Amino acid sequence: MTTRLMAEGLFEGADPLRLVGARCSGCHTVVFPRQDSCPRCAVGAMSAHVLPVRGLVWSWTLQAFPPKPPYRPPSGGFQPYHVGYVDLGEVLVEARLEVPRRQMRIGLPVRLTTMPAYHDEDGTEVLTFAFRPDPEEDR
Amino acid sequence: MTRARSDEVYVVGCGMHPFGRDETVTGMAMAERAVREALADAGVGWEDIGYAAGGSDVSGKPDTLVGRLGLTGVPFVNVQNGCATGASTVLAVANALRAGEASLGLAVGFDKHERGAFTVSAARYGLGDWYAESGMMLTTQFFALKTRRYLHEHGVSERALAMVAARAFRNGAQHPMAWRRKPLTEQEILDSAEVSPPLTQYMFCSPGQGAAALVLALGDRAFDLCERPVRLASLALRTRRFGSFEVFSPWLPPGPHRSPSVDAAEAVFRRAGLRPADVRVAQLQDTDSGSELIHLAETGLCGHGEQEELLAAGDTDATGRIPVNTDGGCLAGGEPVGASGLRQFHEVVRQLQGRAPGVQVPGAPQVGFTHVYGAPGISACAVLTV
Repeated sequence: MTTRLMAEGLFEGADPLRLVGARCSGCHTVVFPRQDSCPRCAVGAMSAHVLPVRGLVWSWTLQAFPPKPPYRPPSGGFQPYHVGYVDLGEVLVEARLEVPRRQMRIGLPVRLTTMPAYHDEDGTEVLTFAFRPDPEEDR
Repeated sequence: MTRARSDEVYVVGCGMHPFGRDETVTGMAMAERAVREALADAGVGWEDIGYAAGGSDVSGKPDTLVGRLGLTGVPFVNVQNGCATGASTVLAVANALRAGEASLGLAVGFDKHERGAFTVSAARYGLGDWYAESGMMLTTQFFALKTRRYLHEHGVSERALAMVAARAFRNGAQHPMAWRRKPLTEQEILDSAEVSPPLTQYMFCSPGQGAAALVLALGDRAFDLCERPVRLASLALRTRRFGSFEVFSPWLPPGPHRSPSVDAAEAVFRRAGLRPADVRVAQLQDTDSGSELIHLAETGLCGHGEQEELLAAGDTDATGRIPVNTDGGCLAGGEPVGASGLRQFHEVVRQLQGRAPGVQVPGAPQVGFTHVYGAPGISACAVLTV
């Protein structure tokens, strides 16, 4: 089966896949996804910045009802899913969380992964980024 | 800051179309009714209005109301400023009156939304399609994520969220223009359908419909028209600064996160020369229970983490120390974006005049406060006094 990433500009590398944001040369603010100007200071130049793959769940919730379009449900239909912010140290990134409810908590160590979001009309599986429990960190 | 009375702006009339859902009436027709009520309340005619501002998010161009009210040539400014739309119309009219454009002005807000969560466009917020397509562009998620983090950081329990909603529906039940008029117990609220935990179905307001209008007058004119004019002591509108935690944010800086609500509230209290502790009736943006809980502290009405105790003691009830959302707020009234801000003014004005449509705060309150907050990081606050 063919797969593709949801939006090329969000990622760098394939194995391992990394998220890429931007960092300001002036105030060191890290943003995601990348943008050309700094939201904090007027002087810095923004350059591509690869984000850490490991972080901690900062907040979380469940999407219990099917969102309206432009949300695209997976081929099997909508199933409730978790979303949250992951604290990567220099920046908090909003992401789908592939974490079971019983395990979910603020502070849970997680690491970057991908998950199928939906399928294109030609059957191509479209992947988005997500975070799942980090087996090397969780005790 | 002390102004001469001739430079002060007062509310001298207010009107409102009931909130809720009524398929037989358009947004514009609701606005017309609210304006006519406000004019009658002030004892003036449309031809007396020298300056007007109107706001609606989705229900049409407000200045076309002149076709219904009378083609008097009045300057009429259209405002579309999210949840701060109503406050922005009041700001536009008050500033015009102080600048000498007119001595009598009108502010109106109205909206009629589709059922269900608001439809959003990623491009309109400067975001890639992936953000919405992957299911992260929902306002309900944002409120839940912000609330979850707040409860965690400040040691507030989920029951406090139910207390907020229970009080809203209790007040709404007594308000003739509220939408949700059935009281619910805390347990019923906690047990209602999970939408985005920790928030359940009855902890969220719904997009709805409604309209509200105010007649504003400058200086002595206010006292000629009205037995008990309500002074607009201060009004401030703020956008977000770096580090605020806002809806539709694919990323956030590590913190601390400071909301525009903090900036707007500090500004109005400073300008009015009053403290949050002076407030005897308050309106806070309660898009959901968590929002009201957070706004209680962000506006300075209590300290962070003190909310649960405050709610449990009944301090935010109409008979309490700081009555909050005495008309049931957005939770009981629904959220017609363009009308909500002016609904808040309507309620506080009527409370300060001792003629609340629903439950009246006892003891003749003299200081009122309004607060709105919304996407993409705006807040407006006002202090009103008699």
